[in-house]
Amino acid sequence: MEYTISTIAPIVLLPFFAFVINAFIVKRFTTLAVIISCASIVGSFFYAARVFFDFLNVFSADYYIHKTFTWFDLSYGSFPFKMDMGIYIDNMTATMLFMVTGVASLIHIFSTYYMHDDKRYGRFFVYLSLFTSAMLALVLSENLISVFIFWELMGFCSYSLIGFYYEKEGAGNASMKAFMTTRVGDVFFLLGILAIWSVVGSVSFVDIYQAIGMGKFNGLYALGIPLATFAGFSVFMGTIGKSAQFPLQVWLPDAMFGPTPCSALIHAATMVAAGVYLSLRCYPLMEAGHLTTFIAYIGGITAFGAATIALVQTDIKAVLAYSTISQLGYMVLGVGVGSYNAAFMHLITHAVFKACLFLSAGSVIHSLHDHHTHAHVQEMPRMGGLKSKMPYTFLAMLFCTLAIAGIPFFSGFVSKDRILGDALLMALDNKVYWVPAVLGFGGALLTAFYMFRMMFLTFFGEPRDKELFDHTKKETLSWNRNLPLLILSLFTLGAFYSGSLTGQGFIKVAGEKYEWFQTLIEKPNLLKFNNKESQAFGFASNPSSETFQKSKYDSNHGLSAEKAHHVHHVHHIGALISIVIAFSGVFIAAMMYFWRSWNPGFWVSLFSRWYRALQNKYYFDDLYIKGFIQKGLLPLNNFLAFVDMGIYDRYAVDGWEKVNRVMFTMAKWFDNIIVDTVAVDGTGASVRFFNVILRTIQSGKIQFYFIMIILVLTGYIWTLNI
Amino acid sequence: MISLSSYLFISFTLFVAGIAVMIARKNIIAMMLGIELILNSAALNFAAYTRFINNNLEGHLMSLFIIVIAAAEAAVGLAIVIRFFQIKETIHIDDAAQLQS
Repeated sequence: MEYTISTIAPIVLLPFFAFVINAFIVKRFTTLAVIISCASIVGSFFYAARVFFDFLNVFSADYYIHKTFTWFDLSYGSFPFKMDMGIYIDNMTATMLFMVTGVASLIHIFSTYYMHDDKRYGRFFVYLSLFTSAMLALVLSENLISVFIFWELMGFCSYSLIGFYYEKEGAGNASMKAFMTTRVGDVFFLLGILAIWSVVGSVSFVDIYQAIGMGKFNGLYALGIPLATFAGFSVFMGTIGKSAQFPLQVWLPDAMFGPTPCSALIHAATMVAAGVYLSLRCYPLMEAGHLTTFIAYIGGITAFGAATIALVQTDIKAVLAYSTISQLGYMVLGVGVGSYNAAFMHLITHAVFKACLFLSAGSVIHSLHDHHTHAHVQEMPRMGGLKSKMPYTFLAMLFCTLAIAGIPFFSGFVSKDRILGDALLMALDNKVYWVPAVLGFGGALLTAFYMFRMMFLTFFGEPRDKELFDHTKKETLSWNRNLPLLILSLFTLGAFYSGSLTGQGFIKVAGEKYEWFQTLIEKPNLLKFNNKESQAFGFASNPSSETFQKSKYDSNHGLSAEKAHHVHHVHHIGALISIVIAFSGVFIAAMMYFWRSWNPGFWVSLFSRWYRALQNKYYFDDLYIKGFIQKGLLPLNNFLAFVDMGIYDRYAVDGWEKVNRVMFTMAKWFDNIIVDTVAVDGTGASVRFFNVILRTIQSGKIQFYFIMIILVLTGYIWTLNI
Repeated sequence: MISLSSYLFISFTLFVAGIAVMIARKNIIAMMLGIELILNSAALNFAAYTRFINNNLEGHLMSLFIIVIAAAEAAVGLAIVIRFFQIKETIHIDDAAQLQS
């Protein structure tokens, strides 16, 4: 297949057209709308799979396709102001496309089960389609402006999906909170784009890489800050907002007010993934701005802090929400410690197992129906013993929990362990990195603990709400409930990502086996980056043997043999620590909630102050509401209102009224005297005056007319003679 | 030899007589007689000028046209007069003043 914009476009346009069509027909043909949505995303998935496997065939880390067209060109003289739109597909994009469309397809299918009895069944799919197409367009974007456009579009979609049950208490506020919190990051992101534009003169990724490679950012300062740092920080603030990192993490837990499949979409495939994807795309900028330490700290703090909050949550979706924040923290930590490949791998593996976890949670919640309040139950204290009722959901959730907890042979172990290994490596090099590394390992312990706590509380032990348990139907296999769970839980196996279990890859090139993920995903090599409009497709023009040399884990990545040995050694230590930590987390959870040998209440009373702090999410909401909003924004708001009402309205608007009154009097005088009296009435009067004179001529006496004719003719001839 | 000025003098006399009749008489038929005199003076002018200046037949031809037109005009005029008389039972020119406001 020839890759051009028009052949790639269906990936985005299929869900988008589904959105457009469904927006009109959803009220009357709900079932048809649902079918269109699902069919379009599945079609899009096949397209994306085609792209993905084509890229896998080429199997070269620095192969990419870059096609643009001019959106507008307002260049004036030597001042360039030209916007391109287009596609930029490298291995990362192709993998993202495959993951997003795949996970989104399964979520669509699951939604036909979960949302079927909802009164706004069709509308949910309208939003899902738009959401997915926005994410796909963002992934394909070749420049930051178009990333920003779809970024905001996703913000809107998450706003409408979180507020989907708008009649429910708090849903409206939650959607507003999500939108406004991410806006804070978006403002910085836009600033960053402008800073980049001011230096590079373009916002295309290719141009940015090239400019950084050529050192265009060197020696440029804005307000005493290096411009690369400023730009990188601003773009990273966008990631902080969108991916719910440390200062702006408050919106994500509230996002669970939306329907559970939409939580799966937001937490896994689309919304939060976009933030990490952006910071990976802009990784050379972060590196050029020396921001990696800062990023690692943000990631470490987020990974650990969110994990601690998740320890005390009782709502099953809240546990998952905080685990999402925590795992996003790991990805950001991975960006910070320079493990580009592992951070992206964790993005993919996390998307799969988190989507599966949310869908399983949705399956559990949907089955538990309280007959008194007519609401679904998502409080874990009312669950317990559900393993016998829902064996298939239990199995799927168990697989994902093993993955997220970092148990060997599962995907979460493969990716998280490599991030932590790199963090450890950085810490050994540089003392500054000890804090994020330790936070990362601590977070891994907590993750294993709280995920298994959730499992034990939900599926094991005695049912704590007997009536609810008895009312729950036994799970029967149904395709739209269990098929997505089955597929997603299969893909939690680490072998899909790391090659085979023996560490050898699936992909065989020139007699040697390679791990596809580690070989394909690489930091953009800035020195080799030249802006090629397009590259021919296939092996011949792109000698892959050369690019294999750069792969970090398969070769020595340009390191000396001794150094490479050291790297391997540290990674082995990191993996060992990870395994020990993960199993001890599981052990503690089992001791507390399965065997019940240790009483959790004892630990709660021991750390009662911390427990309260955790239950209040470290008082971040209070800080933002009481601190920023009530102390800062509300007075500002009041001041602006005063300026508006007291000064602008009173003097400018009312004063303008007085000016108008004077002008009105003058205009009235002018109208009455000049226009009406002189012009209008004057015309009439002059007509009447001349009428009196001229009417005497028309006497009705023919001979008088005749005399007049004679006289006029005579006079005429006489004047001619003179 | 009769000169051009003699013709013109007679033509002028006829013309003035016609004008005088048109202005002085109130009888419509008399006024039409005045018109005939004016037309005849014009015809005489044509004939005289063509005889003394060009010495060809164009002026005569024009005179013939004028006679024909005069006949036609007289027919139309008399028809109007008859119609007028049927309505007003008079042919006094001052009675034909309906257009005066």
